[in-house]
Amino acid sequence: MPAFIVHLIHTLFPKTVLFPDILLIDLGLVVGGIGLFIFMTKTHRWGWLWREWLTTVDHKRIAVLYLIAAIVMLFRGGIDAEMIRAQLALPGTHFMPAIQYDEVFTTHGTIMIFFMGMPFIFALFNAVVPLMIGARDVAFPRINAMSYWLFACGAILFNISFIIGGSPDAGWTAYPPYTGLAFNPGPGENYYFLALIIAGIGTTMTGINFLVTTVRMRAPGMTLMRMPLFIWSAMVTSALVLFAFPPLTVALAMSLFDRLFGSSFFTLGHGGMPMMYVNLFWLFGHPEVYILVIPLFGVFSEVVATFSKKQLFGYPIMVASILAIMFLSYGTWVHHFFTMGAGPGVNVFFGLSTMLIAIPTGVKIFNWIFTMWGGRIQFTVAMLYQLAFIPTFVIGGATGVMLAAVPADYQFHNSYFVIAHFHNVIIGGTLFGLLSGLYYWWPKMFGSKLNEKQGRVAFWLFFIGFWVTFSPQYLLGLKGMTRRLYTYPAGLGWHELNVISTVGALIMGAGFVALVFNIVWTLVYGERDLTGDPWDGRTLEWSLPSPVPEYNFARVPVVHARDAWWDMKQKGQSLAQLSPEDVHDIEMPRNTPVPFLLGVAFFVVGFALTFKWWPIAGIGLAGVFAIIIFSGFDYEDHHHLKAEVVRKTEASLGRLQG
Amino acid sequence: MAHSETELTISEAYERDNDRALKFLKPRFHEEKFPMTQILGYIGSLILTFAAYFLVINRVLPSIALLAVILTLAVMQGALQLGVFMHVREGRGLAWQLIPLYLVFLIALGMVGMSVWIMLFKSGVS
Repeated sequence: MPAFIVHLIHTLFPKTVLFPDILLIDLGLVVGGIGLFIFMTKTHRWGWLWREWLTTVDHKRIAVLYLIAAIVMLFRGGIDAEMIRAQLALPGTHFMPAIQYDEVFTTHGTIMIFFMGMPFIFALFNAVVPLMIGARDVAFPRINAMSYWLFACGAILFNISFIIGGSPDAGWTAYPPYTGLAFNPGPGENYYFLALIIAGIGTTMTGINFLVTTVRMRAPGMTLMRMPLFIWSAMVTSALVLFAFPPLTVALAMSLFDRLFGSSFFTLGHGGMPMMYVNLFWLFGHPEVYILVIPLFGVFSEVVATFSKKQLFGYPIMVASILAIMFLSYGTWVHHFFTMGAGPGVNVFFGLSTMLIAIPTGVKIFNWIFTMWGGRIQFTVAMLYQLAFIPTFVIGGATGVMLAAVPADYQFHNSYFVIAHFHNVIIGGTLFGLLSGLYYWWPKMFGSKLNEKQGRVAFWLFFIGFWVTFSPQYLLGLKGMTRRLYTYPAGLGWHELNVISTVGALIMGAGFVALVFNIVWTLVYGERDLTGDPWDGRTLEWSLPSPVPEYNFARVPVVHARDAWWDMKQKGQSLAQLSPEDVHDIEMPRNTPVPFLLGVAFFVVGFALTFKWWPIAGIGLAGVFAIIIFSGFDYEDHHHLKAEVVRKTEASLGRLQG
Repeated sequence: MAHSETELTISEAYERDNDRALKFLKPRFHEEKFPMTQILGYIGSLILTFAAYFLVINRVLPSIALLAVILTLAVMQGALQLGVFMHVREGRGLAWQLIPLYLVFLIALGMVGMSVWIMLFKSGVS
């Protein structure tokens, strides 16, 4: 064999990716890939895949793509979590070697935040925001597709690290100097930085897109104070994305320069300043946790109003508090590194600003409770997640205020108390919110309700599993167990609590299985919803048939009140009764391969830079520029849907008069 | 003599006052056949970039002066990008985009200022 092929094999498959379990996964991926290829070819689905999905710019299809990616990543991150709990269940276990344990907790955190939470949120945004504001698509449909394919490219780049070259192992925060070349020469951290930079470009574009969409694309009559709260939350989240991602990109790029080009921004020698990375990372990181939870505040505001059969209590205050949270979230980032020792002035300022955020959040909690008060509550699965969210999030928030007290934080810092706290807010707030939104909007996305009985089983497994997993971890933290610990000796009193925690993780795993079963069962046997409004909803998306036709609204609605669709139903009006004269030609964005090819080109750049293959990276970069320039001169980006076609579609849905 | 003031209708007066109050938001909208402004802006931005590079590599200035000059060049670069390539004052009607832009400056300055404040710690932990 030529020497360079041997060298290539040693580079791509070092000893760290040759564990037996990973080899088994390699085999599974190869067999599965071949099987999928044969299946697609036999059933002639490649053209369908290309035309309907890979080149699509329709926000509803992009939402489905985001959703699939998010659920696959939930599986990957969940497997990582189960492996962590298996390792920690008993003292002195060597289920995994230390290096693999480090890789697993790193990928667990990174995937759950960047490649599960955010795409799931963007799935909901894409599925619902244009429908709720009475628009036919987002402001920039092509950029929307580019965002998805850049995210997908980043996610794939990050996920292949464990079979090719080795995973990153410096935690989801990737603090230097450990991520420097001196301590971490393998390709793992390169994967981390490049994947996050590429996915971050996509996320920033999504932020711009939804900010412009919510500001500019609302139906006539929908003033700012008539927007549903989910639209407010989408707007605020997009603004947070716009401000939060630049510091992250800068910090990641500087770390990457340290690794690839020998600069010294964050190294120990040559005047580098590792703590500056920590500062920049959390300058992004704190707004990021609000990016992860504010959209779900919006979801809960819609769900609680719909299933309490009442208007949301205190709408103006809800808007004000969401804006206050946005503003305050920029001024709290030091609470992630109080123990750096920045001095009492800095620490007190940021401790107080952190406690301040609890006030607008508390206001929101009370408003949700008051919305339910006196309402006729329907205990659907979406509402159950809402009811579970309130106590869970309150306890997570309360332990957050404990962590904001600086002297106490010196004790809690880096212990399992912190782990329990942020899982309490991220699972209790984000995951419960995402699942609530999934059950609530599933009929709109796919045209049939998710089976409620099976959904209830998944809900109780998630809810009970969550508390069994994480309440022991508060106590473990107080007993001195530190985070990122790969094994521990017997006799420290941590044994029983860790066993309980692992049992809880298994219950949550069963919850995930139940959820997937529920989804698959519904896709196969689900009953078609013919009304388009199965929950008796309040906002405009429920005025449309499910699933929604390509052009969304045959006639753009005029909004007269806050809960626009509810108001129309009260007045006996219906968008379902169109007269044929109301239907005109509709300008629609045209499908394009540009976003997909851009993702491919970025993948080439990312993969080549990971292994420092400069010529290939150069070719990939040239491809990126060529695609962007081509896209700039591509004037054939839209087409007109003939009124006749729209009339025919509406008539087949029974929505046309005469 | 009995001029303007009395003859203006209320809405006209309101509009005029509005115009005065919001003078800084008046858009400038112009179109050229050949993008001369953009080409000059491109050359200008390159000059600003290479000037900073030259100053850092050749070390012709003492550190503090170097820092001041580079920061000035950066501000000029930012203004040039916003003005020439991002069409910051252009648009139909009043240029409302300027108000959030000022908010952006405020937040950016806050972030930079607070970062400096945070990183000036003297406890020797680094």
